[in-house]
Amino acid sequence: MKKLIFNLLIVSGIIISCNNQNKTPDIQASKQPDSLAATKENKKVDSTVPNTNAAFPIKDILSGYFSLKNALAKDNGNDAAAAGNSLLSTLNKINTEALNNEQQKIYAGLQDDLKENAEHIGKNAGKIEHQREHFEMLSKDLIDLVKTFGNGGQTLYKDFCPMANNSKGASWLSEFKEIKNPYMGSKMPGCGSIKEEIK
Amino acid sequence: MKIIKRILLILAVGFILIQFVRPGKNNNTNLTASDITNTLHVPDSVLSILKVACFDCHSNNTRYPWYANFQPVGWFMANHITNGKKRLNFNEFGLLPIRRQQSKLKSIASQINDNDMPLPSYKWIHHDARLSDNNKKLIIEWAERSMDSLSQKN
Repeated sequence: MKKLIFNLLIVSGIIISCNNQNKTPDIQASKQPDSLAATKENKKVDSTVPNTNAAFPIKDILSGYFSLKNALAKDNGNDAAAAGNSLLSTLNKINTEALNNEQQKIYAGLQDDLKENAEHIGKNAGKIEHQREHFEMLSKDLIDLVKTFGNGGQTLYKDFCPMANNSKGASWLSEFKEIKNPYMGSKMPGCGSIKEEIK
Repeated sequence: MKIIKRILLILAVGFILIQFVRPGKNNNTNLTASDITNTLHVPDSVLSILKVACFDCHSNNTRYPWYANFQPVGWFMANHITNGKKRLNFNEFGLLPIRRQQSKLKSIASQINDNDMPLPSYKWIHHDARLSDNNKKLIIEWAERSMDSLSQKN
């Protein structure tokens, strides 16, 4: 009898302590914070270094985006997913404290969308059309990002295909002049035209 | 035999004890300024579908069935609700930047179209969440119209 009670007490203790972690869903935290409080690093900005766009890894982001784009253009969902995941890690490492107020505001408005689109692309290796839907939103975000943070020192081309996105049209950024459509892939690789050169 | 009896007894006691660990309830009926109806035009036909098929996990107010008072069912529900609200909360839709709102609408259309949402487990129990083709069409078309109207602003 003593042994039984002892066993029951141990089991109860384990159950209660394990489950206290599940107690209350945090109802207040439902809103996605687009503030920068999430940044954990407390890097001190070196006052001798000018606060240029070098603080923001636009080159790495663009590079990740281009890998993604090129994979979609080749109808390769697996490579696109890998590129999406890689882009997401780049985005997660960004330290916004080195940016000026204006840049912080703009990035704050885009960061959640960028990350979520990259994440969805990363998770949908087998559903290339779904990846392309998210790529459309991601491209809009990248285009806005480039407006604020620059082109990373390379000439970029803003392309547009009127047939993509259920014929509503969709844009993308490219690092080369040739049209290699990420939305249509091998079905119609040349569909689209350059709308803007970003030097 | 004695061991089996002992195990069963421990399970029974365990089951009773976990009933004392209750997750908080998601109940708040206040209509917020950021509610989706204050942000976009949502026809009644669409809103009524959203309410029965989506709001339990994607709003600040969940309709709890009687069995939600029992654990571990209550925990599973709390988990679904926390995750659901994190991804999309119709009561706080207006707080999102416009680009985000567009992305969310796109995801809504896409997930309804692919039958990824409502969750299969939710549909087993909630028969009114099993959307007819017509209802799905209503939501998808509303989401697309709303995205277009936001494009005018973006």
